[in-house]
Amino acid sequence: MPNVYEVRDHVLRVNNVSLKLGGNQILRDLSFEIRDLHREDKTTGQIVGLLGPSGIGKTQLFRILAGLNKPDSGEVLIGSPGAVVERGMVGVVAQHYPLFEHRTVWSNLVVAGQGSSRPAEESEKRAHELLSRFQLLNRKDFYPAQLSGGQRQRVAIAQQIMCSEQFLLMDEPFSGLDVVALDSVQELISEVSHAHTLNTTIVVSHDIAAVCEIADLVILLGRDVDGAGNPLPGARVMKTFDLAAMGLAWRRGVHLEPAFVSVVEDIRDRFRML
Amino acid sequence: MTDLRRVFEPNHSATSSAMRVVVVIQIALAIAVWFLSPFQVLPTPPEVFAALGKLWMEQGLGQELITSFLLNLEALAWTVLLSLGLCYFTVMPFFRPIANAVARGRFLGLIGLTFVFTLMVGGGHRLKVALLVFGMTVFFVTSMAAEIAGIPKSKFDHARTLRMSEWRVVWEVVILGTADKAIEVFRQNAAIGWMMLTMVEGISRAEGGIGAMLLNQNKHFHLAEVFAIQIVILLVGLGQDFAIGRFKRIVCPYAELTLERR
Repeated sequence: MPNVYEVRDHVLRVNNVSLKLGGNQILRDLSFEIRDLHREDKTTGQIVGLLGPSGIGKTQLFRILAGLNKPDSGEVLIGSPGAVVERGMVGVVAQHYPLFEHRTVWSNLVVAGQGSSRPAEESEKRAHELLSRFQLLNRKDFYPAQLSGGQRQRVAIAQQIMCSEQFLLMDEPFSGLDVVALDSVQELISEVSHAHTLNTTIVVSHDIAAVCEIADLVILLGRDVDGAGNPLPGARVMKTFDLAAMGLAWRRGVHLEPAFVSVVEDIRDRFRML
Repeated sequence: MTDLRRVFEPNHSATSSAMRVVVVIQIALAIAVWFLSPFQVLPTPPEVFAALGKLWMEQGLGQELITSFLLNLEALAWTVLLSLGLCYFTVMPFFRPIANAVARGRFLGLIGLTFVFTLMVGGGHRLKVALLVFGMTVFFVTSMAAEIAGIPKSKFDHARTLRMSEWRVVWEVVILGTADKAIEVFRQNAAIGWMMLTMVEGISRAEGGIGAMLLNQNKHFHLAEVFAIQIVILLVGLGQDFAIGRFKRIVCPYAELTLERR
């Protein structure tokens, strides 16, 4: 069933990004773009899966996308016409959900709001809204050490949304989750991403199926090989899977469809060859 | 009974009532060992408590204690100011060699340095404060600089992703983020001050103090008095330790939430 949608301006462009660390080529001329997808009947943000085997350079790309590191060459542009990414422009939810352990949940959100351009009063109102939306109001005076894993993840996401509303980078959000928790995290990512048409979440993960279930675009990182079959140094984009164009995005239960299963298998096969 | 048996099992938290019983038994054992000590030269507990009464009523032990307490407090205030300042400044590479050099000072004794300090600050009270500050600072900087150097990169990055300036990152991650550790380091080093007091007050006895009193009693081999003074120092130290611990719980209630032994 084809999706009816319109492709609008760029929300993020990665142009020929290269990075060397300690003499090793980590990323090589890596390029991709994410565009604003628009559906008439629904507010639709973007969810992009960034997949690749361990050690391919996902963490380094993650840091460059977050503005925490600069590439040796190339650039990451945010929005349209495009501003070079600086730290703080992209919210980052790291794997173990870092929070300020010395602050309560409420204080963690308020302090993050100080990084945005909003007045303090508006920030507090926003913090209250987010706590209510993420069902954390009854935990507002708790310290991070008193939260469950799921609660901590929600607070970490809320904290980043307080500061960088539209872009969210998530590192391995599905790692170590049971089926129920996985559903709930997928739902949360979808909810946050589709709250505004320009919201864009990039999910870095090893869990191919979990990413594909919620993504509209999947980018597979890997290494080129030379004539003898030896991998060339430096990760590049090996293939992009436009799930929206394939009619496999924005639908519940899509994981049961043969076309979806076939895409996931295709990605798995490519993974094995990388 | 089950609770008491568990105090011998590894990695178990005992209930507070079980721990109270354990402490009472241990104190009783210590007193029994003292009473039954084969070393006849050691004063018995009644002799020590009699000496304590005499020192308190006739020789102004209370006043000397206050003198030493105030001296220690002044030295502690300077130590905290200088040590924490230096440790926080290690966020700038320029100050790291200085902090390293200060931390290495822990290998030095005070012999010879006393002369240098006398030239720098003069004698008397200021010399005592300077020596105490030196003695505590070298250990304070060693522990606190290590705490700061041990903050993982991910914590800095987390703050940076929230659009914080580098100075704001320092405030949030280095200063506020290690406040509980700083109080703990302070607690440990406050004890070093009491340990050094005898030596420092012995150098300049004009102001008196419990350290000077201890040296005088020791010189005349009044062991009951010496033990009595040591017990007073121990009790004051325990009180100080307890007060700092309470302060930490109030100011940093989050610090013990993840500990097995609270």
